[in-house]
Amino acid sequence: MPAMDQTQALLALTDVFRNVFDDPGLELRDGMTAADVENWDSLNHIDLIVAIERKFKIKFTTREVTGLKTVGDLAELTARKVSAVP
Amino acid sequence: MTFTSFKFLLFLPLIAAIYQIVPVRCRVLFLLVVSYGYACAWSVRGAAMMAVATIFAFIAGKFAGDSDSQQRAYAVFLSAIAVLTLYLVFFKITAVLPMGRFGRLAAPLGLSYYTFKLMSYVLDVYWGKIQPAPSFTQFAAAIAFFPQIAAGPIQRPADFLTQVPPARTALWMGLSRLVWGLAKKILIADNLAPAVNYVFAHVKGLHGTPLLAGFYLFPLQMYADFSALTDVALGMGLLFGIQGPENFNRPFTACSISDFWRRWHMSLTNWLVDYVFTPLRMATRSAGTAGLAVSITLNMLAVGLWHGFTWGYFVFGALNATYLVGDVLTARSRSGFYKAHPKLDRLGSWMGWLLTVHLFFVAMVFFRAHTVSDAIYLLSHFSSGLGTLRLDLPHFADVVGSSSLLLGLGGYAVLELLERCRPDQWWHRTEPVVPQWLRWSVRFVIALFVMGGLFFVTVRAGGHESPFLYQVF
Repeated sequence: MPAMDQTQALLALTDVFRNVFDDPGLELRDGMTAADVENWDSLNHIDLIVAIERKFKIKFTTREVTGLKTVGDLAELTARKVSAVP
Repeated sequence: MTFTSFKFLLFLPLIAAIYQIVPVRCRVLFLLVVSYGYACAWSVRGAAMMAVATIFAFIAGKFAGDSDSQQRAYAVFLSAIAVLTLYLVFFKITAVLPMGRFGRLAAPLGLSYYTFKLMSYVLDVYWGKIQPAPSFTQFAAAIAFFPQIAAGPIQRPADFLTQVPPARTALWMGLSRLVWGLAKKILIADNLAPAVNYVFAHVKGLHGTPLLAGFYLFPLQMYADFSALTDVALGMGLLFGIQGPENFNRPFTACSISDFWRRWHMSLTNWLVDYVFTPLRMATRSAGTAGLAVSITLNMLAVGLWHGFTWGYFVFGALNATYLVGDVLTARSRSGFYKAHPKLDRLGSWMGWLLTVHLFFVAMVFFRAHTVSDAIYLLSHFSSGLGTLRLDLPHFADVVGSSSLLLGLGGYAVLELLERCRPDQWWHRTEPVVPQWLRWSVRFVIALFVMGGLFFVTVRAGGHESPFLYQVF
């Protein structure tokens, strides 16, 4: 997968979010948190992580996942992981 | 010295008054000394053990956050979590199993609360979410902070440390929250307590109506009591400039069991979600639905066993795990059904509310009953003797005190109404436009009225100390 920056990652993550949270109109912003997305709770947070891992063929660690605060953090981490894949 | 005792009601204003004249830079040290003084008033041994555990976690945090040596950081983090878990488990076991000639060992004050604070600190440092605490005084004050030591809420050290040194206090907000909590405890919880205590002390001698009354009254008593304790702790915290985490958000309005657990004992459930559920879910994520079910089950068993190592708490956790797994696994299909049948959405919400409340109430019987056998008896003998309702009810009311029961139930109805209408928020919005003299006059009259009422009730109780239900954990 080609390297990507945070903005590209945010765009690519939108589809994943829409699927996982069953909301076709969902638009992502960097500063968004779980409180801004309906049904985004601790129970389906890992479903989201798994969906991202599958789409981008990357792996997150528990340490990384627990450190995320905003959608922007997730996009930045995803971009970094995707760019690191040889 | 419980929060409703006469001694404490003298101690608190004195400490809060002195705090106002303590220089800001010395306030954390002052809080630390007062907190340990309070802990020593319960037990010097318990306070000493808390000090040792605090020193241990502080040192472990220094090494766990060392990015120069990842291997050593990992080893320290793992050892620290293992030691703190064993420390907690040891006292949970010895509280229920006699230890030879020593008998049962009493757990130190606030053991379950401060151990969780210490664990979250080590984990957060290791995960790189926070830096190791720069000052031992600040860290120790965060762990021992006396408003929260007896029964939470579980405020993570990182949250406390960002608020120190506390330059400003919120006297009016703190006092009103504190008085609101005391009123809930004394006027509602303590008036429901005789009926609940009577039913659960005589389960197998009762049938029908009284058992049904115990089934419905205990969760209401527990909510009034525990949320009151949170109000008192948060109110006291504000007197010292510390904002603690909320513990409840109108739990009995939840329309699903997962929504319920986002509203009940939130500081504990959030803690377990971050430090138990999420790591477990990450570890089992390749196992799909089975991994989800295992993670939820272990997490909810931890919720139950955190209260103590008894079969009742185990069943409480297991039942809630079963409810949650069922709820989560059917969530998508239920959502799809209601999208396809929007007219049934409102009915579905009502049914969901009714089911959620009753499922939780069933689990609460196991939480409260002395034995699992008592709990099963209570749940299976609702209908026996219901035909004698007209005879049972007056007798039950006589035994537990009808005026106390009515006051408790009426008070509970007012509590739900006030939590729905939130007059405090209305007051908060109008305050800036009301002249200061009028604001303070209204505050003074309300405070006088409430304190007078509480004093009357306390005197009527004959100076009897009524501990909060959650102070035993």
